[in-house]
Amino acid sequence: MIKKILSILSISTITLMALDSGDTLPPLATKKLSLQNDKIYIIDFFASWCHSCEKELPLINKLNSSIDKNTTEIIGVDVDKNIEEGKIFQKELDLNFRVVNDANNEIIGTFNPVGMPSLFIVKNSKIITVITGAKDNIDSYILDGLKDLK
Amino acid sequence: MSMTLFALMGCSLKEVKPWQKGTLAEDTMQYGGLHPEIKKFESHIYFSKEASRGGSGVGGGGCGCN
Repeated sequence: MIKKILSILSISTITLMALDSGDTLPPLATKKLSLQNDKIYIIDFFASWCHSCEKELPLINKLNSSIDKNTTEIIGVDVDKNIEEGKIFQKELDLNFRVVNDANNEIIGTFNPVGMPSLFIVKNSKIITVITGAKDNIDSYILDGLKDLK
Repeated sequence: MSMTLFALMGCSLKEVKPWQKGTLAEDTMQYGGLHPEIKKFESHIYFSKEASRGGSGVGGGGCGCN
């Protein structure tokens, strides 16, 4: 009996691990984010209460103006529970990329990042790079991550 | 038996996920809540009694990224 309970607990711990480089995206995330194969996606998780996200987003905005849109797309995932608050935040920052509102935290739950902000570079439903935590020059981190794909 | 009971108390083991920390960052979740004067008053009493201050808060926006 005890062995059974412990095995259930260990399985649940494994399934709750954060997605890392080389992992495949769960179908739910691919569907919710409308991802296509052969395109590179930069998926950034942010929230209005996260000050580091607020600092990083203008740099991602700037990067979006310089990337090749045919091969690469930036998708923001706003994890604010209050969608209206999130939308005001997005408007204030004048985000120039597609944003998916994840109020019920379904999408971020599948990625299960270890911190916020969190950014994933994905191609063909495979995670290429994971960038977690506040970075002063997030744009250069992303460009470094994209270099691995060329 | 005690181990089984401990394992069944799953709620006590549940962690706050990084994306759930927005609730913790709200003003109502701060010490003193929406009325900072209470916090000021409490810290004054603490200082008077203990002859020390500080250590009652953390930096950052609540996202655990600093």
